[in-house]
Amino acid sequence: MKKVFLQSFLLLALFLFCWFSLAQINWTSIFEVEKSGQELEEKLGEQLWEIYSREGREVFNDDIIQSLDTIIHTICHANKIDQESIKLHVLEKDEINAFAMPNGHLVIYTGLIKASENPEELAGVISHEIAHIELNHVMKKLAKEMGISMLISITTGNGGAIAEVAKLLSSSAFDRDQEKAADLQASDYLVNAKIDPKHFADFLYRLSLDDPEIMRYITWISTHPNSNDRAQNIIEYQEGNLVISEPILDNATWKEIKTLVQ
Amino acid sequence: MIQIQTFDYKPGEHEAEKASNSYLMSLIALIAGLPLPIINLLATLIFFLGNRKGTYFVRWHCTQALLSQFSLFFMNTAGFWWTIAILFKDSTVNNIYIAYIFTLVIFNLTEFIATIYSAIQVRKGVHLHWWFYGGLTSAICKKTL
Repeated sequence: MKKVFLQSFLLLALFLFCWFSLAQINWTSIFEVEKSGQELEEKLGEQLWEIYSREGREVFNDDIIQSLDTIIHTICHANKIDQESIKLHVLEKDEINAFAMPNGHLVIYTGLIKASENPEELAGVISHEIAHIELNHVMKKLAKEMGISMLISITTGNGGAIAEVAKLLSSSAFDRDQEKAADLQASDYLVNAKIDPKHFADFLYRLSLDDPEIMRYITWISTHPNSNDRAQNIIEYQEGNLVISEPILDNATWKEIKTLVQ
Repeated sequence: MIQIQTFDYKPGEHEAEKASNSYLMSLIALIAGLPLPIINLLATLIFFLGNRKGTYFVRWHCTQALLSQFSLFFMNTAGFWWTIAILFKDSTVNNIYIAYIFTLVIFNLTEFIATIYSAIQVRKGVHLHWWFYGGLTSAICKKTL
């Protein structure tokens, strides 16, 4: 029996030796894991944006784009996020929606700007979507729902499935944990950017009310359920924190872009 | 790693066939169960239970086949859940993960070859004694029921 015990330890030692010896090799660079993942994300991002750009008219108005760029710049700069990694697209649509796509594409519908009562609320939703991008939730969601092999086949010519991916990203929710993580991350982004997260919580809370006018166009809420609870979580998360708040856009600019999207 | 030893008696044709089948069973289950490691273990366990009242030679080889599946089961299960965590959770592919998968491939392949060889030899009535598993089997498997 002693011999068997000794052999079992030897077997375990052999396994561990084999594992740790192999771990000394830089497999990720041999298989170009990061590069191929990045290439897949880039291709998917481009193909998906091609589909969305056909769905609505893209807004190129300088005032709107510059204002949104200012919001994104403030959030990115305060949180050491590379602003170049966020590719903003504004689409003229009445739906209240914003969503992140692979490779940092961020799509905002004009309906969302209309529904925001102040630029801080809009900054809250943008921070939430940037958090999804930074936490790599987009690719994880696609891998989970579609499978890696399907995603690869899309980028190599399986055109039919790309529409399905597009629908998945704009009209279905991330899982509860990812939403919560993105909310809390967004809340930190906002605090660092000197924006009170209370505004984001207010926006979520307002969406949870059954206002028939809002409900007509609300897509973001169907993809982001339990808004009331989420608003509460954000308030609780930042409770006790002293938030220094500074206006992100001046009143005149905000009024102007609100008029432009009407 | 695998030794030919003299068994206590010369097994009959029927016994050799049954004992050989226990390896074949784990072999088929190993192929079918690659995505879900529990399948290998379950299949071998069912075969083991079905033959637990068999002759000593049959029981001995069923036990050796079952025990050899145990360690692979734990290794493969860890690899399976690690892969799931990479696909659906926040884990990422790194050198340690790839090294683990390669180690699994080496161990599974070794087991695969050893199992084929054992199935062939045991079918001829040869008593094969695997390193570690053979000793453990002899300690567990009693001559009389």
